[in-house]
Amino acid sequence: MSIQNLNTFDPFADAIKSSEDDVQDGLVHVRIQQRNGRKTLTTVQGLSSEYDLKKIVRACKKEFACNGTVVEHPEYGEVLQLQGDQRENICQWLTKSGLVKHEQLKVHGF
Amino acid sequence: MDDDKIFDSSLKKKKKKKTGFDIDAALAGEQAESTSKEAMVEPGDVDGDLPEDDNLDLDNFGKKKKKKKKPFFNLDELESSLPEVKEEKPPVEDPEPQEDEMVDDLDLDMDFSKMMKKKKRRPKNIDEIVADDDQAEDKENIEDMHGDWVGSDRDYTYDELLERVFEVMREKNPGMVAGKKQKFIMRPPQVVRIGTKKTSFANFTEICKTLHRQPKHLLDFLLAELGTSGSVDGNSQLIIKGRFQQKQIENVLRRYIKEYVTCHTCRSPDTILQKDTRLFFLQCETCGSRCSVASIKSGFQAVTGKRAAIRAKTA
Repeated sequence: MSIQNLNTFDPFADAIKSSEDDVQDGLVHVRIQQRNGRKTLTTVQGLSSEYDLKKIVRACKKEFACNGTVVEHPEYGEVLQLQGDQRENICQWLTKSGLVKHEQLKVHGF
Repeated sequence: MDDDKIFDSSLKKKKKKKTGFDIDAALAGEQAESTSKEAMVEPGDVDGDLPEDDNLDLDNFGKKKKKKKKPFFNLDELESSLPEVKEEKPPVEDPEPQEDEMVDDLDLDMDFSKMMKKKKRRPKNIDEIVADDDQAEDKENIEDMHGDWVGSDRDYTYDELLERVFEVMREKNPGMVAGKKQKFIMRPPQVVRIGTKKTSFANFTEICKTLHRQPKHLLDFLLAELGTSGSVDGNSQLIIKGRFQQKQIENVLRRYIKEYVTCHTCRSPDTILQKDTRLFFLQCETCGSRCSVASIKSGFQAVTGKRAAIRAKTA
């Protein structure tokens, strides 16, 4: 048995890790919003700022055949917007490309 | 039904052919009509026999695969038997081929049953399959399975062992079924559309009561998840902006229950939601566990309305 006080334990390990991870608890929120009629909008919030969101959105637009944009938000950082209900698509694409782990994804909406 | 249909068609064919034969006979012989009538009657008898055979087959082997094959065989038989029919001995000749056909079918069925067995229980040696073919028919019964266990000393497959364990568990205590949690029965949400742009959630307060949650909390969650706005109106129904169907609302409700109603440890719905220093805690009444739950955040909301309207509002 080791003496606990002599262990080299970094009390801030968690803090550093979480700050590395992402803005808040490392979750990527995928939401859907209704527009007029049967039109919808998909937003992806919480992607790490290390990635170039413009490149991501460009790839997504091509992949899902929809338009999309990156919106800068003071609180939530850069947010992806895609036209239409792309929740399934974006979840699959993000996990497949290895940008986000499956556990980190949180899908909201109906 | 399907079988019958197919069979009927074959029957019809036969009858047609038979009538052709009758005409031939009539043209050739032009004798007394009584003989032709006999000929007419006897094929009918044969036809009467045929469905019986079919029924027998069905009773013996309830396999589906057979059905596909059979009509072909009938046709073949018919074609093979037809020349004989033309030789003016229809009633005598017909039954024999059918018996042959029966035998053929039996063999076929055996083959198919073997095939089925192989498919069903993959992790087995050929020896075992051969051994099993003796007790082929009653494989489905678990009691026979038990018999199987007692008799042989082969290695048991994992699936078999698993099945046995669950069987024993179910026998010993029928109340506790593994993996089946307590049923949490809830009334489905009544969701009606109001006009084109709004949705009414009629039994909103009722559901809040059954869940033992503050209506405000559920309201916050619903609106945050759906990304819209809404409010509770005079007759305690929730009006949400946007079109939603009952299924969608059910989905969201299910998520709410999973996160904020059922205990995360024991899954019991008998819980209390407390607010403690700005955080919500879920206290379970059954197992006494207490854990914090995520706060409700609506997150990023994109601009979907008219920008001019927003500008007018802020300015």
